[in-house]
Amino acid sequence: MDVDAFAGRLSFFWNAHNNVLEEVAKFRASRRVWAKVMKERFHAKKAKSMMLRFHTQTAGSMLTAQQPNNNIVRVALQTAAAVMGGTQSLHTNSKDEALALPTTESVTIALRTQQIVAYESGLADTIDPLGGSYYVEALTNKLEKECWEYINKIDEIGGAPEAIAKGYIQKEIQDSAYKWQMDVEAGRRVIVGVNKFTQEEEPPKNLLRVDGSVGKLQAEKIAKVKATRDNAKVKETLDALEKACHEDESTNLVPFILAAVEAYATEGEICGVMRKVFGEFKAHTAL
Amino acid sequence: MANIKVLVAKPGLDGHDRGAKVVARALRDAGFEVIYTGIRLTPEQIAEAALQDDVNVVALSLLSGAHNTLFPKVVELLKEKGMNDVLVIGGGVIPEADIPGLKAAGIAEVFTPGTPTTKVVDFIKANVK
Repeated sequence: MDVDAFAGRLSFFWNAHNNVLEEVAKFRASRRVWAKVMKERFHAKKAKSMMLRFHTQTAGSMLTAQQPNNNIVRVALQTAAAVMGGTQSLHTNSKDEALALPTTESVTIALRTQQIVAYESGLADTIDPLGGSYYVEALTNKLEKECWEYINKIDEIGGAPEAIAKGYIQKEIQDSAYKWQMDVEAGRRVIVGVNKFTQEEEPPKNLLRVDGSVGKLQAEKIAKVKATRDNAKVKETLDALEKACHEDESTNLVPFILAAVEAYATEGEICGVMRKVFGEFKAHTAL
Repeated sequence: MANIKVLVAKPGLDGHDRGAKVVARALRDAGFEVIYTGIRLTPEQIAEAALQDDVNVVALSLLSGAHNTLFPKVVELLKEKGMNDVLVIGGGVIPEADIPGLKAAGIAEVFTPGTPTTKVVDFIKANVK
């Protein structure tokens, strides 16, 4: 298959952490690496195939349960980094997500943060606003070099799927998360309100409470669907899906899944058929 | 007590396991024998793993909001399997207001974000049976 036939539709999902300039450099470095990989390794010809498009979500692991209003500032900085780094779309986390599922009020602040950055800050007025900055360019070069070291290492292992199967990629992420935590606990890394500038706090108020009746309501709705649909048709489409699962790997399962959906088979029933045939992915869980 | 065995487990449809893995690693570095289950397990799978591996501690991690349903279910199933001595602890995004209810349901302690890993280690050492 010609790489240019689909490469332009690929996109990435990045996370934005707290160090603004490092994050901008990360996004810039990833664009360079992708362009080179697509051009040099996969011989893409179309410019669109070499463009790295990405969505960004602000980092949930950087939210603190302590002094939760500080998270508004963290998310704003992460948003600024993502926008200056050229993200195509953005999900901003809410200030109370280290405490509970977010309230409507805190979700609204997260949305307004994006809108302030988009319409008031000027950060979106030009492409790559930090391009040419001595420090950001140097950091981009450093991160790009380290990216290539990882790519070479993964190539040595036998490619990304093999590296995942062997737990290499997970291990690198785990080690980094563990080092972060140890640095915080030892005070080598400052997290405001957690290991420095702490204060006595009242337990947070106004957290979202999810009404337990929501689950019951959903179960009732599913029971009603199952009682009123054409169950012979459901069985027919699920059987056809199961048969298709047993065919060779090139069989496209999507039309069979669509037929089952149109007959009102539930997601659980559809996935159940595929679980029966394929089993479930067993993650590498070595520490 | 020699050789404390801990099962770190993630019940329910919640893929967030950065915290669970950090805690698992810290417990291992503290000298415990640690087994990590991976994500998206049913309470039944967790109780069965605890029984098979004959663990002293089950450490549950959950960030999705389903802790009030899933944590007590694990405790119940462990009891059904005759594992009455196992210490069950929990952690994750858990509102303060839910903690008394979880403790009443048999979760010995609940650790929320920002807790130093040493606090979890000390709690296990002091409370494991």
